[in-house]
Amino acid sequence: MLAIFNSIPTYMDYKGQKLAEQIFQGIILISAVIGFIYGLVIEQFGWTVYIVLAGFAVSCVLTLPPWPMYRKSPLSWQPVVPESSGETNQKPQESLKKKRHK
Amino acid sequence: MNTVLSRANSLFAFSLSVMAALTFGCFITTAFKDRRVPVDIHVSRVMLKNVDDFTGPRERSDLGFVTFDLSADLQPIFDWNVKQLFLYLSAEYATKSNSLNQVVLWDKIVLRGENTKLNLKEMKSKYFFFDDGNGLRANKNITLSLSWNVVPNAGILPLVAGVGHVSLPFPDSYETTKSY
Repeated sequence: MLAIFNSIPTYMDYKGQKLAEQIFQGIILISAVIGFIYGLVIEQFGWTVYIVLAGFAVSCVLTLPPWPMYRKSPLSWQPVVPESSGETNQKPQESLKKKRHK
Repeated sequence: MNTVLSRANSLFAFSLSVMAALTFGCFITTAFKDRRVPVDIHVSRVMLKNVDDFTGPRERSDLGFVTFDLSADLQPIFDWNVKQLFLYLSAEYATKSNSLNQVVLWDKIVLRGENTKLNLKEMKSKYFFFDDGNGLRANKNITLSLSWNVVPNAGILPLVAGVGHVSLPFPDSYETTKSY
């Protein structure tokens, strides 16, 4: 079961994370302002709470799942280095490690 | 913000902070409001007895019975930061032994959404009006006033005295009938 859950990709790229944060902050702040004014006008603080909760629900739907718009700019990783050249690459890495330890 | 859980966490924390700020705003918008309203108290009957005070000094103490009419419009008190009002009618008077006596005679809870226009006739006091001695007899200045606690959604719990009170003299002699 856990393996199935772990296999679902949930990450966003860096720009997507920033966008998601801006979206949920904007939605909750706007709903807070609307709820505050509405509650003040009709003299019911409960409605303020309900409107903020509605904003919370909407921003949950919009930002919790990794929608495609949050994954438009994935990091461009270096292509996988083929196995055969692995030995030649390992030697300079070992020498680097030794330098750091000194 | 990388995983669903971390996003849910920051979303929830942000919503809670916003909610706390809104609650504070609700408090601030009503914190400096004047919650006094005029109250009309009319005492229709006063009776005075001298009975054994079974609660205290084991001596005969003065026991007053007050029948009163009460009318007030509490609508201006209610706003979005008021859950309920706790009204209480108290008597204040001075005796030789105490310069200030305060006795609560009656109380009432008015919830939000209930009828806010009080118009009560011939009300009897809920609680015994005992003096701790014989200070009620021939006391010329006993003041009845209505006060209330405002129970808010958020913020302080103010204690407000209603505008308007009634001062009345108590009789010079005790009633001797057995029925009370």
